Amino acid sequence: MSMEAALQTYFTEAREMLEDMEAQLLEIEHQDADALPETLNAIFRAAHTVKGSASLFGLDGIVDFTHVVENLLDRMRDGDVGVSPELVSLLLRCQDHIATLVDETEADGEVSEDSRILSRALIVELGAYLDEGAGSASDTSGLPAAGKEVEQAHDYPEDENDDTVDNDCWHISLRFGRNSFRDGMDPISFLRFLENIGTVRHILILDDWLPDLADYDPEDCYLGFEIRFMSSATKKEIEDVFEFIREDSDIHILAPYSRLSDYIDLIESMSEESDRRIGEILIECGALTEAELAKALALQAAAEEADQSRRLGEIVAQDDDRLTPVVDAAAQKQTQMRDAINRKQKSLRVDADKLDHLINLVGELVTAGAGTFLQAQILGNAELIESMSKLNDLLEEMRDASLKLRMVAIGATFSKFQRVVRDMAADLDKEVDLAITGADTELDKSVVEKIGDPLMHLVRNAVDHGLESSAEREAAGKPLTGTISLNAYHDSGNIVIEVGDDGRGLDPDKILAKAREKGLVGEDQQLSRAEIFDLILRPGFSTAEQVSNISGRGVGMDVVRRNVIEMRGRTEIDSAPGEGTTIRIILPLTLAIIDGFVVGVGKAAFVVPLDVVQECVEFSEVDQTERDGQTYINLRGNVLPLVNIRHRFGVQGERPKRRSVVVVKAEGQSVGLVVDRLMGEFQTVIKPLGPVFTGLSGISGSTIMGSGEVALILDVQGLVQQITRGERTAANH
Amino acid sequence: MTQTNTKSSLPVKGQSTAVTAAGLAAAGSDENQYLTFKLQSETYAFGILNVKEILEYGKITKVPMMPDFIQGVINLRGEVVPVVNLARRFGLKASEITKRTCVVIIEIGAEEARHELGVMVDSVSEVLEIEDDQIRPAPGFGARIRNDFIRGMGKLNDDFVIILDQDKVLSVDELAAVQQVRDMAPAHLPEEDDDDDSGEAEPGKG
Repeated sequence: MSMEAALQTYFTEAREMLEDMEAQLLEIEHQDADALPETLNAIFRAAHTVKGSASLFGLDGIVDFTHVVENLLDRMRDGDVGVSPELVSLLLRCQDHIATLVDETEADGEVSEDSRILSRALIVELGAYLDEGAGSASDTSGLPAAGKEVEQAHDYPEDENDDTVDNDCWHISLRFGRNSFRDGMDPISFLRFLENIGTVRHILILDDWLPDLADYDPEDCYLGFEIRFMSSATKKEIEDVFEFIREDSDIHILAPYSRLSDYIDLIESMSEESDRRIGEILIECGALTEAELAKALALQAAAEEADQSRRLGEIVAQDDDRLTPVVDAAAQKQTQMRDAINRKQKSLRVDADKLDHLINLVGELVTAGAGTFLQAQILGNAELIESMSKLNDLLEEMRDASLKLRMVAIGATFSKFQRVVRDMAADLDKEVDLAITGADTELDKSVVEKIGDPLMHLVRNAVDHGLESSAEREAAGKPLTGTISLNAYHDSGNIVIEVGDDGRGLDPDKILAKAREKGLVGEDQQLSRAEIFDLILRPGFSTAEQVSNISGRGVGMDVVRRNVIEMRGRTEIDSAPGEGTTIRIILPLTLAIIDGFVVGVGKAAFVVPLDVVQECVEFSEVDQTERDGQTYINLRGNVLPLVNIRHRFGVQGERPKRRSVVVVKAEGQSVGLVVDRLMGEFQTVIKPLGPVFTGLSGISGSTIMGSGEVALILDVQGLVQQITRGERTAANH
Repeated sequence: MTQTNTKSSLPVKGQSTAVTAAGLAAAGSDENQYLTFKLQSETYAFGILNVKEILEYGKITKVPMMPDFIQGVINLRGEVVPVVNLARRFGLKASEITKRTCVVIIEIGAEEARHELGVMVDSVSEVLEIEDDQIRPAPGFGARIRNDFIRGMGKLNDDFVIILDQDKVLSVDELAAVQQVRDMAPAHLPEEDDDDDSGEAEPGKG
């Protein structure tokens, strides 16, 4: 994988992590204490992964900031810092900011100056919480100065009896030999290699040994490094990285959660440097806290007095690869965590274009299969028909499976609104709960992408205008907290998405009056309740008396309507004054393939989506009655309006004696389609008709039949709508 | 779209016309090359760069309630492509469908909105090279077709070829706009369509 591609993957993953983080943050507030640690862990992991991967690519702007956030989260995880709504708000802002940093880095390769300033400001705010949690146990002057390296020590209040250092990273001290360059050992290549087995959290470059310019030999290596290294590798593996330079260089590796005494030994073994100096270095790169160092130095002094010779033995022991149980446990914990992450990501990222191509091919395969089956039937060869039908079964399964690839649950889209609702509620000083149901409902990816904007308008509108203020709610005897509900479900080949509120509801009289005032409706025009509600989705219509900064400018709601119509969907509004409003978006699944029912009229073949077909009955002209240009038949005591496809679409040719009525149901209304012939079921690959046919009504698309001919797909919803509209105009006369 | 010519259910016409898709390719894709065709004894031409292929007139599905110059849609290797009846688009009487009737597939539109349209012509003639200096501007009057449809008059020995402006002739806006106007009164369409349908959905069995 090239660096560029890897970076791209990082940006995508970072965004997902951040979305995850946001979702979890929003959950915190409503959670009971039992579930809290797990949620905090998940949030920490998300921040940690974003930071860790960013450091792999050297994206300092992201690393520096995220690190501070991670520190705070770590402290929350340990219970040092309590959860409060203010803190969650701050973390949400931080999460937003990290997302901005990621975006900027992707776009420009670096973080903008504005964002740097914001980073600093947020770090100061975070620092307040860090201070609080630190209490009096340790000095937190380690809070980074503005613009300076932000890396910070884990300054936990220390347990006096615990001798281990609270540091989940390996610590590597490297002093390259003077002759490294001459031997062809470039330090940087070792550091790069180190990244293959883990993450370098922090590197401190020591240039103490640089001589005066006069004495400087460019072929000499004067460098030393102190490295904080996050890895689940064993000590042996890390040592192997430095195998080639082991002899000439000074290398010390300390395992995570090493004993304080090991650090003392490290400090002591650096013979060239003063104890104080190496101690400072360890603090600077985050291996030790100041408190820990102080303790170490005290211990060291005590040990020195007690037994001068002990030092040597300890140093020797430290160089072999014996792992203390503490280290084992730490390494195991890291491995477990990595496994958990691996399990979670057992999905494959596939280019959407590749998927579309596959679905197109499967579509053609299905068409070709239907054609071959037709040929087999014409030939009448029983064995061929048998094997073809087996093949067709498989094709059908394959079709279903490939279509599922494109289906995604709407849950991710819904949960984005948690944040929207929360922020708006805070802005508007309302108490709002968001109730999500049907998050598992799957729909085509293309629909999910397009539904976001309309939903956003609806949710914002519901919070702003739908819900009353707390005072009004109290006066009306309603619970103070308003509820916005998002729901999704499948209904006869359509997907229905509902945005509901339990607010004040719509007042039809007020809407009508407003519409008349704006000239949208004529003075003597009579409208049904549904039609009046529908007006709120018209351009330039807004009933809000006050224009707030969130919505109410009369733009937005008509965008909803337009977007939905573009997706060949429609909207429905239910409302009761005082009880709330529910806006329903009804969309076709817009799948590439559906089951179709083929009917013939004259020479033409039309396809009716099978899932709207209720039944087929014989048509007899004698039974039909006509009123206001609309014909009806009596279907088992019910009035069934008819659409004569021949007339509706101007089809030529002989009218056969026997005709059929296909009863279809859409929008809760049954309608009979009068056709010449019933031609059976057919797997239908939907082909869009292209821009030339954009305004065509009654036809929703086309498909290719087994014979290779094109058949048109009837837009049953559209046909039914025309009839219901026709009835209403007739009734109004 | 996949370019698998061999799988075509509508074979590329090779026998009755002089030009095949392969022939087009062999002739090169010079900007000065034009595909000429006959429409009711007049010779017209399209720039060859946008001509994708030439098909025998075959199975075509009529789309209801469309203007008469939309002949219908065809299956072009799995893609549904609209076919324009060029004679009717020019406001002429529809030509009779013969064995030589062809559908020329033309690609129109820019990058984003690129799509294909079929154009129904009486017969395809040949690929010609016409230098720029041999092309005159469209005459102010006297042409049988709308002036803005004509990109220029190509001089050919002592004859003229009408070089068409495909973006105007096949303007999607115009094709769709006309249809929207008709869409306003859909109830009366069937009767209108009855009279002059000489070329109606009876495919020439050529």
